Amino acid sequence: MKLTTAVLDSDWSEVEKRIARFIKDYVEKSKAKGVVLGLSGGIDSSTVAALSAQAVGGHKVLGVMLPERETYNVKDIKYARLVAEKFGLKTETIDITNTLQAFYNSTPIFDPADKLGKGNVKARTRMVYIYYYANRLGMLVCGSSDKSETMMGYFTKWGDVAADISPIMDLYKTQVRRLAEHLGLPENIVARPSSPALWPGQLAEEELGVKYEQLDLILYGLEHFMKPEEIAAELHVEKQLIDKIRRRWLLSEHKRRMLLTAKLEYRTVGTDFRLPRSPW
Amino acid sequence: MKERLKVALAQISCQQGDKAENLRKMGRIVTKAKKQGADLVIFPELSSTGYVVRDQIYELAEKIPGPSTRIMEKAAEKDGEYIIFGMPELSEKTQATLYNAAVLIGPEGLIGKYRKMYLPTHSVFEEKRYFRPGYQIATLDTKLGKIGLIICYDIYFPEVTRLTRLEGAQLIVCISASPGIRRTFFETLTLARAIENTSFLAFVNLVGVEDGLQFWGGSRLVGPDGKILVQAKYDEEDFVIGEVNYADIRPVEAFVPTLRDLRPELFDKLKDAAEEL
Repeated sequence: MKLTTAVLDSDWSEVEKRIARFIKDYVEKSKAKGVVLGLSGGIDSSTVAALSAQAVGGHKVLGVMLPERETYNVKDIKYARLVAEKFGLKTETIDITNTLQAFYNSTPIFDPADKLGKGNVKARTRMVYIYYYANRLGMLVCGSSDKSETMMGYFTKWGDVAADISPIMDLYKTQVRRLAEHLGLPENIVARPSSPALWPGQLAEEELGVKYEQLDLILYGLEHFMKPEEIAAELHVEKQLIDKIRRRWLLSEHKRRMLLTAKLEYRTVGTDFRLPRSPW
Repeated sequence: MKERLKVALAQISCQQGDKAENLRKMGRIVTKAKKQGADLVIFPELSSTGYVVRDQIYELAEKIPGPSTRIMEKAAEKDGEYIIFGMPELSEKTQATLYNAAVLIGPEGLIGKYRKMYLPTHSVFEEKRYFRPGYQIATLDTKLGKIGLIICYDIYFPEVTRLTRLEGAQLIVCISASPGIRRTFFETLTLARAIENTSFLAFVNLVGVEDGLQFWGGSRLVGPDGKILVQAKYDEEDFVIGEVNYADIRPVEAFVPTLRDLRPELFDKLKDAAEEL
């Protein structure tokens, strides 16, 4: 299989229609009043915001902006507002600094030097706010995770990934960029480097150690059952890089399939209870 | 036997697991089809239950004949219509052995059934987990002519369609629940099966979203020359009627005589090679 950027091409109008239909169908069947999403000013949440507005109408989409002192970036708010305005979304802005501070102060083992632990608290705190709005307003939570970060386990368990539906989870980051361009999102947003905003200056590509253009082709190869040596030869990179990414993908399955128990009885939650997702 | 018939392709979405609602909907469409002069109305694969019902299939499956077929028999009798629909069938002799079945009902009652032979169990499909494969071809004799029944993935295996044709079917009906990513395959194979058998082929696909799977519709009636006689919309519910005129087969069969040119001696070789794969 040739691994060029062409393999990630798609009919973006068709993709747009399918995702919008998916969101609309789920919202209608669950009799929800709309969707709530965290609006960060980044490409993923902006794309999901645009698709949600198209699916159910901007007036039924609430974009929640959740800044905090440490990672505050004026551009995040600016771009999030831009997207909200362009697609007619409702918005709410809540500074979560005090909530985080209360958590840090009240937790005896809290260690400010543990960047990741602290970052995960931020992601999970944002989730708590978003779900509270969804509960209060009878809405669903719409997630913004893409396929690249989901396959890499590059997200916080029960944090940013937590959602009722995840409309772009089957699109790699470079595909999300193409879809975003197709949807008419501002160039500034499409070209912005991704960041989970867990600590200041955090950049996804730096942490993953590979550019998304390359990562996505490697993941595409793995998705299509290509052997690591075939992918390495195709992309003219060291096999070690492929092995590293493959290992990270396989080791993070516990973050994607989250209910696990010991098999004891006839049918077991999470393993062999096989039911339709929602019995409408 | 009727030489010309109107065939209605009823491309519906289903309520997952809600047989009563799905059967009611089908009943309404049968009446509508009759008003529009259709002789036969065809619904998608597992149309009585929806496609993604997973473990609920054990509660939903019924014997044939059974409550669901009796409801559809009444509809067929009331409207003087022939009906084909899909349902999970519970075997007569066991308590949890199921088949993915297509049922043909006429004004005179239940005519016959077909049990899907090729059960996809790859990608998003898990049919072998729930169903036993069928072992019999279904070429059913009706006042509308001989009708061959196949279901969805069967269309990838030309021998199923070919056998119904060799048993005399001139109209082959493929009921389906195909998700969007496979559209090109089905659009190619529906034409191929009609052309290679010089027969009519009615393909009726599900629409709607079930657990993230989007069924693409695109139901169609294909003529023996591979011409699309009528085609339903993509991705949304639709209802279209096409005409089958059996006399149209003769010129095509004379022009590209695939049935005359069959080489039976190859079939033994095919069997041997398949066993050795």
